[in-house]
Amino acid sequence: MPEWLLWFTRFENSKILALLLFFFTFCGILIYVFTGKARSRRLESYKYIPLQDDDDDSDAARGEVEHDERNES
Amino acid sequence: MAQAGIRSTEQYNYDIVRKFTIMALVWGLLGMTAGVYIASELAWPFLNFDIPEITFGRLRPVHTTLVIFGFGGSALFATSYYVVQRTCQTRLYSDWMATFTFWGWQAAVALGALSYMFGYTQGREYAEFEWPIDLLIAVTWVVYFLLYVQTLRRRSQPHIYVANWFYVAFILATAILHIFNNLAVPVGLFSLKSYSLFSGVQDAMTQWWYGHNAVGFFLTAAFLGMMYYFVPKQAGRPVYSYRLSIVHFWALSFLYMWVGGHHLHWTALPDWTSTLAATFSIMLLLPSWGGMINGIMTLSGAWDKLRTDPIMLFLITSLSFYGMSTFEGPLMSLKSVNALSHYTDWTVGHVHSGALGWVAMVSFGSFYHLIPRLYDTRIYSTRLIYVHFWLATIGILLYITSMWVAGIFQGLMLRSFDDYGNLAYTFVETVAFLHQPYAVRAVGGMFFVAGVVVMAWNVIKTVRRASSEAAELEARIAAKMAGA
Amino acid sequence: MIKHESIETNAGLLIVLTLIVISIGGLVEIVPLFFINDTVEEVEGVRPYSALELRGRDIYQREGCYLCHSQMIRPFRDELLRYGHYSLAAESKYDHPFQWGSKRTGPDLARVGNKYSNEWHVAHLVNPRDVVPQSIMPNYPWLLEADLDYSDVQDRMRALKMTGVPYSENQQEFERNVAEFGPAIAEKLDILRAEETLMQQALANDYDGQRSRITEMDALVAYLQVLGTMVDFSKYDEGYFADFR
Repeated sequence: MPEWLLWFTRFENSKILALLLFFFTFCGILIYVFTGKARSRRLESYKYIPLQDDDDDSDAARGEVEHDERNES
Repeated sequence: MAQAGIRSTEQYNYDIVRKFTIMALVWGLLGMTAGVYIASELAWPFLNFDIPEITFGRLRPVHTTLVIFGFGGSALFATSYYVVQRTCQTRLYSDWMATFTFWGWQAAVALGALSYMFGYTQGREYAEFEWPIDLLIAVTWVVYFLLYVQTLRRRSQPHIYVANWFYVAFILATAILHIFNNLAVPVGLFSLKSYSLFSGVQDAMTQWWYGHNAVGFFLTAAFLGMMYYFVPKQAGRPVYSYRLSIVHFWALSFLYMWVGGHHLHWTALPDWTSTLAATFSIMLLLPSWGGMINGIMTLSGAWDKLRTDPIMLFLITSLSFYGMSTFEGPLMSLKSVNALSHYTDWTVGHVHSGALGWVAMVSFGSFYHLIPRLYDTRIYSTRLIYVHFWLATIGILLYITSMWVAGIFQGLMLRSFDDYGNLAYTFVETVAFLHQPYAVRAVGGMFFVAGVVVMAWNVIKTVRRASSEAAELEARIAAKMAGA
Repeated sequence: MIKHESIETNAGLLIVLTLIVISIGGLVEIVPLFFINDTVEEVEGVRPYSALELRGRDIYQREGCYLCHSQMIRPFRDELLRYGHYSLAAESKYDHPFQWGSKRTGPDLARVGNKYSNEWHVAHLVNPRDVVPQSIMPNYPWLLEADLDYSDVQDRMRALKMTGVPYSENQQEFERNVAEFGPAIAEKLDILRAEETLMQQALANDYDGQRSRITEMDALVAYLQVLGTMVDFSKYDEGYFADFR
């Protein structure tokens, strides 16, 4: 096994490495999700998917809920 | 947008959703009644009646299997099939595959419960199914996975709604957990008995990796999928933040798999493993509460719905219990707290605040939303939904508080010493103390079951009305045709 | 670089990434337990169960005893006084599956062996309240009435052998067991003579007080009486086991 691979097999090293890896992945997801106006608008637009499929034809939906879709900020 | 001219009851496969919904209620009623019975056995041991099949040790796996896999599992099949069809706006990929999962799953639950009563068990909590039933579950699960993914691929829009992510994670995780935790060598081809492949400490860690993620993915992730569809749908407004739901998903999926070791604090499990598990348990608080806030804030600006809509009351209360038990969980995973709480009824109370408060309540809420739509009618009685809600809430509160008293006081009694450094209490003295909390717990369970009976009655009347409405409609059409 | 957008819109990618994310935790915590050497202590005396004890253990599982009784003593002062030395990982290394338990509705049983007489166990199992008035344990009178079925005990031992328990099936394996456990115990671990040694143990000890029959009670009491008795703790000083934790 090459020398540089052995470095990873030591617990002191791999523990820290794994921690940093997971942490930065997490930060990456946070940054991706919460930055960028256009992206945010696109992501938030998906939350209307369950409401797009209105069951107008169903008795159950009639008179029970009025669809006041909140304006997106 | 529903396709013009086609009613959603015809466009989608609702038949399978109906079947699973009804079976969820049947198993729920049976499993919770079994729960009340074994709780009563602990308070009044004569109830064991010297009948092997109904002694506590054999009936307890029947209770857990019927409520987790019978009630919870059927509820998840029902809602996942409904949600995937509605959010992808397409019919299930295959009707026969759906029917296959129905019979496979019902057979596994029924055979499992019967086999424990007759003494066939793997002796692993929540994985007591012997090997032939394990194989049946594995086959059913593969079909479920294929059916779900193929349906996702037929969706009419590019984005996969987040509720489906949670369902997918649940299906995948359950497959992995089920396979690895049930590795065993059968005694023979014609013997139901098997021995687990691993032993001792490795077996313990595998079992609790399974055990806690049965909670994490079966009883949490999948029910969060339910929450992400039914809460917005019932509220008539979108979920609070879709971006939060994305972070919620990845964080929860990643963190949950680490925490099983907290069931083995202070045991022969190496310290590094249980410390790691405790650390991740604390971190898990963040995505858990993120999800809860996301669900509850969906109602932001429309809190008045809680006053007028009992279904909303069920859903929001379930989220509150979810928040409470996901706070209690990390607390109990601290080694110092665990030293007291482990092996006591505090753990039992904690499980039930999650199982009754979160899992059962969110299922009831979703069913009340779902059932009128499945049968294309209106619910028989809204007042009875309120009655159910209060019976359930009182039941849960009695259950949790009595178990706090039982667990904490027994833990304190067991570790108290007299002036000479001897143990202050024998074990059986703490058992005698538990009688009252056990009786209160049994009564709490009875309240909860009474609520389910009310729900069953309400559902039966609703379904009856739907069929009489359908008959009436048909008669009117027939009359018109005859007149023309 | 993968865009999150392609994850959201591609079911296959979503599945693969989810699989990776949910696999890491289990891999990191479980796999090393098989490879780190000091996970299980090196200690003398721990042996596989004899045929009779094994059948007793099966009955212990069948009746769901593990749901109310733990077999894992923790390193606390009260548990030391109540139950004895804390449990070692080595003491359950032949337990397929482990029976550590998660709830003590009754007391821990990890070291119940040799604590009570056989007569006490029989009386207690038939009606616990005869010997412990406040007990809430069910009665198990049928154990005394049912003859023990040991027709498939060899198959059971063979299955366990496949998982790694050192039962012997030929001369070579027998001699290995003689070297490791001594001749008396090696005999009990011999699969080919399992039925014979099972009968011998039951008759010699007469656990259930009925000399003429071998009942399920014989097996269960034999199992209970061996729990926690295998390791002689006077041979080791405390610091030795602490090194493994």
